[in-house]
Amino acid sequence: MVAALTSLWRRDRLSALAFAILALLVFLGVFGPWLPLGDATQVAAGPRLSPPTWAFPMGTDELGRSFLPRVVEGIRYTFLLATVAVIITAILGTLLGMLAATVGGFLDMVVARVADVLFAFPALLAGLLVAAVVGPGAASVITVICIATLPLFMRVVRSASLSLAERGFVIAAQVAGATTWRVILRHILPNVMSVAIIQITYALSIAMIIESALSFLGLGAQPPRASLGSLLQVSSVYLTIAPWLVGFAGLTLSLAIVCVNLLGDSLRDAVEPLPGRTLT
Amino acid sequence: MRILRYLGPRLLLAAITLTGVAVLVFISLRLIPGGFADIVLGPFVTPESRAILTERFGLDEPGWVQFFKWFWALLGGDFGVSLVTQQSVIAELLRRAPVTGELALLSLFFALAVGLPLGVASAAATARGGGRIGRTIGALGASVPDFVLGSLFIFVFSVWSLGLKAGGYTPFFEDPIENLLGMVLPAVTLGVFGMALILRTTRDAVLRVLTEGHVTAAVARGETPRQILRHHVLRNASVLILTVSATYFGYLLGGAVIVEVLFSVPGVGFYIYSALLNRDYAVVQGGVLFVAVIFVLLNMLVDLLYVVIDPRIGAKRG
Amino acid sequence: MSFIGRTRGFLAAAGVSAFLLGSTSGLAMAESTITWGKPAEITFGDVHVAGTASSWDVFQLVYETLLTTDETLALKPGLAESWEQTSPTTYVFTLRENAAFSNGRRVEPADVVGSFNRILDPATASYWAKQFGTVKEVKALDERRVQVELEEPHTAFLPATAHISAAIIPAKELLAGEFDPVTEMMGTGPFMVVEHKQDESWTFAANPHYWREGYPLADRLYAPIIPDEAARMAALRDGRIDYTFFGNPDIELLFARDANVTVIAQETTNYYRVDVNALNPERPFHDKRVRQAMDLALDRNAIRELVFAGSAPVDFPVPRAFGLEACKSNPAYALPRNERLEKARALLAEAGTPAPEVAIMATTANPLYARIAQVMQQSMNEAGFETSIEQVPVADWLQRVFTDADFDLSVSWLAGYTDPTMVISWWNPKFAVWNLAFFEDVPALDTALNDVKKMPAGADRDAKLDEICAMIGDGANLLALVNKVDYVAYRNDQIEVRIDPKTGSSNMFQHIGEFNSLKQ
Repeated sequence: MVAALTSLWRRDRLSALAFAILALLVFLGVFGPWLPLGDATQVAAGPRLSPPTWAFPMGTDELGRSFLPRVVEGIRYTFLLATVAVIITAILGTLLGMLAATVGGFLDMVVARVADVLFAFPALLAGLLVAAVVGPGAASVITVICIATLPLFMRVVRSASLSLAERGFVIAAQVAGATTWRVILRHILPNVMSVAIIQITYALSIAMIIESALSFLGLGAQPPRASLGSLLQVSSVYLTIAPWLVGFAGLTLSLAIVCVNLLGDSLRDAVEPLPGRTLT
Repeated sequence: MRILRYLGPRLLLAAITLTGVAVLVFISLRLIPGGFADIVLGPFVTPESRAILTERFGLDEPGWVQFFKWFWALLGGDFGVSLVTQQSVIAELLRRAPVTGELALLSLFFALAVGLPLGVASAAATARGGGRIGRTIGALGASVPDFVLGSLFIFVFSVWSLGLKAGGYTPFFEDPIENLLGMVLPAVTLGVFGMALILRTTRDAVLRVLTEGHVTAAVARGETPRQILRHHVLRNASVLILTVSATYFGYLLGGAVIVEVLFSVPGVGFYIYSALLNRDYAVVQGGVLFVAVIFVLLNMLVDLLYVVIDPRIGAKRG
Repeated sequence: MSFIGRTRGFLAAAGVSAFLLGSTSGLAMAESTITWGKPAEITFGDVHVAGTASSWDVFQLVYETLLTTDETLALKPGLAESWEQTSPTTYVFTLRENAAFSNGRRVEPADVVGSFNRILDPATASYWAKQFGTVKEVKALDERRVQVELEEPHTAFLPATAHISAAIIPAKELLAGEFDPVTEMMGTGPFMVVEHKQDESWTFAANPHYWREGYPLADRLYAPIIPDEAARMAALRDGRIDYTFFGNPDIELLFARDANVTVIAQETTNYYRVDVNALNPERPFHDKRVRQAMDLALDRNAIRELVFAGSAPVDFPVPRAFGLEACKSNPAYALPRNERLEKARALLAEAGTPAPEVAIMATTANPLYARIAQVMQQSMNEAGFETSIEQVPVADWLQRVFTDADFDLSVSWLAGYTDPTMVISWWNPKFAVWNLAFFEDVPALDTALNDVKKMPAGADRDAKLDEICAMIGDGANLLALVNKVDYVAYRNDQIEVRIDPKTGSSNMFQHIGEFNSLKQ
């Protein structure tokens, strides 16, 4: 692990830094509740809208709660929702994409049309509609993220599988009498894995943006629970008199997404190097 | 005849997609708790008054009857009237479409004007072993949510005006300069994400093309880097850039809700969003479908453009 | 020669057009516009039907009521220049001679008859009909006088005519089919609608036929709709709007450094309230003791300090704005908090549920609701409750609370109107109807509420109100929390305003006619 990190650091400092920050954020998110940071929901723990002090390292919010444990809780919640949603998208998208490419015919057409319909549906409006049907909260945030990330995922995996399905070893397996599932799991899945993993990192960054946007519209995290988006929404009103609130919440969110994106880039570069060339 | 053979299947697919969108939006709207009568009468709704209102607006009929009535009228171009204002939905959409269109075009313009050159430069730098700056800008731009950037802009520009307007909308034909001054901030807010998208796409596409044989051949022929870039690289990379731009543009048409709310820009997204909160069924249905129609038409246009850029695609697909 | 002539002609034409341009821009400057940042779009255009404050504030520019109220909540003339009570059940209104609708037609008694009958007609589905009491007949006495006869005495009848939901509409045009109150607005108020772009803006022009000579001072009123609080603040800062209002009490703090923005706090008879679901046997609040425990556990002072920065006073079922003693001695208000918590725990133990699990519902319409809910949560948990919070869109909330009764507690606000007996009549579910789904009927309370409406204001009525308050406190089915203060913010370098320190009919901009633009 350490060796791998040092070699990454030597090869690509930016990605190594991104990885380290992300690891720190994930650590905070997972173990936050057990760290001695204070109570995230204790109202009137201090004065309202206090600037950062020793007792409240990130200041206090509009109800006098310590902001530091709230940001940590926000990291936890935002990461959790984004991860769960992306896992669902990844499994569904990979399976449907591979099935469509391998089976072809009617199924392929249905999958393509569903992707089209979802794609033609303005993403955020689809989200609002779902949030209205399911009711605000975790379930609707996850559904919205899936709706927004699924079409692209299906398309990418489908086209990657399509090129594989015409390759010799897949046709050979089919001729040899392998079932569709066997072909998919044994021959296609290992080969689309790298494409899928790259898509996962991008889906993850989109998921975090969507989660925060929904929370910003009041449809995400339910109070007193905090997500990075809901913290931003509440504190944006106080930008003039308590700018540190927006600062801490906004920086944390942006930092998290930047790191996921940088990591995705370096993963892709590793899987599919694009060396380019000079023009002289 | 060839045009028909080319367009026919595409139009059919478009029709299927749009019908799918129509069914989906209609069903999901009926699943939402809280009806129009609740919103109009507030808490004072009684079973009697609810019955009177639902009957007055034809909401008492079975769902499928309402759907076919709506869909049938839609085929005749009738989007219905808003339950709240009793005004024509399509007239309101057409009034707002240019606003959203302008915002989307300006954002796309910003994204391309900044993203394209940066992408090419970043690819060139990467080819020489560098490219970290381009990567960072690309990752950063895709990471700041629009409402964070928008809130910051509003705060900064309402305290120090700096010649720009933080919110408010002036119709273009009333006062073009005021209009543009007001549109710059929302357009940039939306465009930063697109800029990052275009930057990364351009960088990748250029890097990919650079390794292809015809570029090597051109280098061997001794063409200048500028010539190679223009004739070989950008021409080939443009297919990918076009696809991404079109998708991004489509996203802007319906996805600018938050920026429209923040900057009080009277666009289509804001209209549909508030109608959804008010359970103004006809507006949500008509609005979503309207955006979907434009999105689908846009994609067909892009398909046609592919053929223009690269006739091989046309031959392969058609 | 001809060349010179032509040039001269051209110059002359240029001179004329320059003159024309000069004069039109001169006109534009003489026309004064005031700009109001309206926080929310109306929900429905029918003045007799819409039950939301965001619709009322538009109606109040266009329509008028027979009577209105001053800053002490006393009745004063509106469209009627005088009124008298000729018997315990009969009222006679005399209309202003020069009052006219914006189409120029004089207001006639028939308009009052038509308007009131429209409100009373069940087909209109007006929620306001009940506040009139039981009306026997509305009729014109002569050219200027209207008589309303009730079946039985109803003290709040006059105050009921002062609320915008009792607006006078042009009944003649309505009957002739020339006016549709659902899609258009035509009234006698200071302004008339010129243009409405949905969810974008309203444009009003001065009503040339407004009865008050020389008013409104502004020629035009432009009202862009700016729902986002931060965007509204920005618009005020950069001078794009002249005035607006907020619910967030921190607004005074947020504008503290802007010398050209003045914030006025307006006390109202409205208050933030909690609805309690008493009728679902599956839920904890079905047990009256659990409701009482919750009422005792609530820390209204904490809500006041934490959510309202100390600026909104604690409020009572009979609104504090009326200056009565009613309800102030209820245990939930009078006892010190420690004693209340002890009592609450004892009640919960007695009910056999020391730690009931309950949910507070708060809508996304007002960010303050969620904050109130979070403070409630903490204070209730101190008494043993296990409280969660659900934040839902308005339409969901309306259905789940008022139709399905699928909730435990719900945070919102209640309009207190202009008579102490008006808002408490909602504690009689048979009268209120809107809370039938969750409100436990108490026959003794219903009787008392019916009686108090027939009593004239005075010591007897105050004693009756005390009696009612004790029953309201005992039921703990609908709670008052803190006063709903509205905060009007305006640019003191752009506009002169007149805002009463107190209003009873949610009529924040009652003196809109006197708002004067200072812009050159």
